[in-house]
Amino acid sequence: MTDDSLIIYEEQINKIDTLLSKMLKGCEAKCALLVDKDGHLITRQGFTHSLDTTALAALLAGSFASTKEIARLVGEPEFSVLFHQGKKDHIHMSIVGDRSILVVLFDDRTTIGMVRLYAKETSLELAKVFEEITGKSGAKTGLSSEFADKAQEKLDDIFQD
Amino acid sequence: MVSINYSLREVCCKIVYYGPGLSGKTTNLQYVHSKVPSDTRGRLVSLATEADRTLYFDFLPINIGTINGFQAKFQLYTVPGQVYYNATRKLVLRGVDGIVFVADSQPDKVDENLESLANLVENLSEYGYDINELPVVIQYNKRDLPAVLPVEELQLKLNEKGWPYFEASATVGNGVFDTLKLIIKLVLEKAKSTSSPKIAPTQKAAVTPAPPEMERVPVEQVDAAPVSQTSPESSATAGSVSVQAAPPTSQPDGAGVHPETEEDSAYRPYPGSVEEKSRQKRISQASFPAATRGELDAESLEKNIVSDEDSAARKSRDATVLPQMAPSLRRRGLGKKRGFFKRLFGVK
Repeated sequence: MTDDSLIIYEEQINKIDTLLSKMLKGCEAKCALLVDKDGHLITRQGFTHSLDTTALAALLAGSFASTKEIARLVGEPEFSVLFHQGKKDHIHMSIVGDRSILVVLFDDRTTIGMVRLYAKETSLELAKVFEEITGKSGAKTGLSSEFADKAQEKLDDIFQD
Repeated sequence: MVSINYSLREVCCKIVYYGPGLSGKTTNLQYVHSKVPSDTRGRLVSLATEADRTLYFDFLPINIGTINGFQAKFQLYTVPGQVYYNATRKLVLRGVDGIVFVADSQPDKVDENLESLANLVENLSEYGYDINELPVVIQYNKRDLPAVLPVEELQLKLNEKGWPYFEASATVGNGVFDTLKLIIKLVLEKAKSTSSPKIAPTQKAAVTPAPPEMERVPVEQVDAAPVSQTSPESSATAGSVSVQAAPPTSQPDGAGVHPETEEDSAYRPYPGSVEEKSRQKRISQASFPAATRGELDAESLEKNIVSDEDSAARKSRDATVLPQMAPSLRRRGLGKKRGFFKRLFGVK
């Protein structure tokens, strides 16, 4: 149910960011995003300033979800790697653990092989971090009631006809 | 599920507009997009056909601002309403926090509404969600049209569970914000109530911006967890890649867990196929230098073990950037080239 909220602490994000930047350095890709399968952006590294990462995360998660459904139709549990090739920029997506997707954007300065190699390696390490996150969220934290009340005040300001 | 990110300092919720085709789900989002200040909303992404029918989903991120040091973000999705697109419709529901059911108030659309509602329950149950536990708001849309069914009748037919409802006319915007405000309120209340009362003090601490004791808690668990994970994993993969002779002593620090071997345990080529042979080769190549690329007899296995320890030692020596692959690649490449030229020019 909705109890399986994803709660990530700074400590873990730092760890994830280190892994991502290490990977970017290794394979000379442009940037990397870590996206929840629900379409939430978890973190990003590299040159992401010019990108609408929120929309990108939602679309990438959607594309991965539809690929999973395609996999199911052909009798596979899921396709673990997805690759989009463009004229200049390419996107490599691979699955991390059971609920997130590692997205690497790269161009012709590197090769798909390098990206695959490093992404595979990094996925495994990230999966370990995520196991800790899911193991940890047994001690559940949630939003305080204060949060909901304050949000309500803001809503009235923003949503006016 | 509500996603709380302590690094980006944001709380993210997913709200899905569900309903039959042409009931006005996308119009709802378009209205919100047009009326909300531009610093509050992101771009409206619409995956639609050429005839402007939603193909996959529409997506509108909304950021209502900072509350207690956290950005409250809401992602509004619509689903494709047409019966034909059920597969994609189901995908959008993944991880949903709240649902707005947009019903068409016209008399001839009652059956479609009912069908869509049943489909919603069915699709949710496939993810293991129970509609009774999710916040749902019904929106009776198209109230501006002549000869629409009275709300009482629609309530009787569609709203057995007594969900809150609004009358709306999405094209002009009546009731759109009321629906959105209520669903956001219900989602946040739901997120609040899912946290158990026992941990109320930590819960408060969690929402205030990064208190030091909150940060320390994860560290201990981070350190403790991998130790327990690596050992069963390594022994499991060692068994599955048919290098059974390798004693457990060869991988005391989990260095033997190669990415290739782990993935291979799930991948099964046809027995006797070229792929399987190359797979066997790959295992030995990945772990060892070119010399031990042949059959897996006892002697070569012993060599393997030794070279595996070598690689572990090498790994610890230059543990800077992903040491497992770069050195082995280079070494393998060199060995191959020398052999090739020797053969080519007949050098002994």
